[in-house]
Amino acid sequence: MSFWSALGRVFSFAFFLGRRSRRTKLFFVASFLPVVVAIIIRFHQAFGQGRGLREGLYLFSNIIMIFYLQFIILILALFYGTSVCAEEVEGKTLPYLVTRPLPKSAVVLGKYAAYMVIPIAMVGLGLLASFLVLNFDRLGELRRLAVLGRYFGVLTLGLLAYGAFFTFFGSFLRKSIFAGLLFSFGWENVIQYFPGSTQRFAIVHYLKSFLPLPSSGRFSFLTFRLEPTKPGLALLILFLITAGFLGLACLLFSQKEYNLED
Amino acid sequence: MSAVIVTARLSKWYGNVLGLSDVSLEIEPGITGLLGPNGAGKSTLLKLLTGQLRPSIGSVTIFGQRVKNNPALFFRVGFCPEHDSFYEEITGWEFLLGLLKLHGFSAAEARAKAEKTLHIVDLYQDKDRLIRAYSRGMRQRLKVAQAIAHDPEVIILDEPLSGMDPLGKRKLIRLIKDFKREGRTVIVSSHILPEIEALTTTIILIHQGKVFAQGDVQDIRELIESHPHLISIRCAEPRRLASLFMNDENVLKLMFGSDGRSLVVETRNRDKFFSLLLSLIVEHRIGVEEITSADDNLQAVFDYLVGK
Repeated sequence: MSFWSALGRVFSFAFFLGRRSRRTKLFFVASFLPVVVAIIIRFHQAFGQGRGLREGLYLFSNIIMIFYLQFIILILALFYGTSVCAEEVEGKTLPYLVTRPLPKSAVVLGKYAAYMVIPIAMVGLGLLASFLVLNFDRLGELRRLAVLGRYFGVLTLGLLAYGAFFTFFGSFLRKSIFAGLLFSFGWENVIQYFPGSTQRFAIVHYLKSFLPLPSSGRFSFLTFRLEPTKPGLALLILFLITAGFLGLACLLFSQKEYNLED
Repeated sequence: MSAVIVTARLSKWYGNVLGLSDVSLEIEPGITGLLGPNGAGKSTLLKLLTGQLRPSIGSVTIFGQRVKNNPALFFRVGFCPEHDSFYEEITGWEFLLGLLKLHGFSAAEARAKAEKTLHIVDLYQDKDRLIRAYSRGMRQRLKVAQAIAHDPEVIILDEPLSGMDPLGKRKLIRLIKDFKREGRTVIVSSHILPEIEALTTTIILIHQGKVFAQGDVQDIRELIESHPHLISIRCAEPRRLASLFMNDENVLKLMFGSDGRSLVVETRNRDKFFSLLLSLIVEHRIGVEEITSADDNLQAVFDYLVGK
């Protein structure tokens, strides 16, 4: 069996398992929270005292998008990424995979791909629904659709990069969720606001480099950045982060002896 | 007959803890029983044979090929793990079909093989139930099913009979014996001697990470038979029963239990003692509530054999 065939087969099996898991059902609901927020805003605009609120695209870019970028994709990437290896060890199902005629790297990469498609779909649907709710009166404007496409691209890149990082975490750390939470809401949320080069040690810095310049207004602090990296370079760095951590995860998974005992 | 599985001076340490020491084996087609008490190193040996662990020293080959990082070997090898662990949120059918597809079978081939295997292990009727709703015995059969579904030449089963009801055990034993007739190589581990005896005459005794004895089960049985057995009999008249044993040459020692209703007998020949006991019970109409063999477990036998 070729490597790509093995990868495809692992992908199908893991995607099937991922789709059926309770975690997916729970996160699917959770990823629609911004849609609820969008609906509330829209109601407030239409019937309440919110007639003075900014228009739909502004709200979408500065509230919904940031909610996805700084919270939802981190949580999704953390839980799905760490699961790639760790759930097989914790669930003691690892022998079923490693005693098949599959390269171990195909197991990691196939599961990673399957476990990223699921949150990307969740985020995509939620983002689209929020966009429609906030912009349904101006959907004819191509500029708005381009913004939606760009934001979806940024979130996808974020999921892939964070997912690879957490896959690496899950391949060697026992308490990978706890460490991942510290990284996500400690490191990432603090370092990005540091001046100079320090902010470049946060993945979110490169994701924000694709976003428009900070808007003025009360939510502008959420997209605050001092020195954005050029989009081409940011894309390259995100690619290197993803490939590097996936490579390390494959290496560790192939070499490490996992202890399945209690 | 040439050996299919060969280990040479195989050793494994977990840090400072010895898992397996200096194991050299040549396993030929047929059934080989791997017998040892819990923690003896059976699972460590099976994990080394399936490449899940890397030897600290020594080597393992199957069909002359190294095992570690050789996934192609698993077209020819099937493994049933010891742990009762599954992807609980899918059905037995989906589990087996999914794992078969990982072997490279097309959807149609995988379906045909899954169907055939589920019939073999008597799970076809329950194939559409979620695994988490399966009984322990059904789960054991499903584990065996995933190890044999791709028709491997080498089948390695770690405690496959554990948790199964007597009927299920009998069926599985028959199935494993069929594999032998088909010329496959089967390794079955257990800590229960009668289970292994029911399967094969070729056994490997493993204890504290070392191969303690190897060969025909009859030789091992003789070793074990020479070990004095403790048999506890709970009855209304223990003193009367004890008096009937007094002059029997097979009885080494008689002790009374603290509850005043039991008698513990030490005997060197368990089979002869049991025939004597049965005849005495019938002849003297003694009401016996319970008979238990206090040390009828492998650990006690091993402790005796290693001189503890």
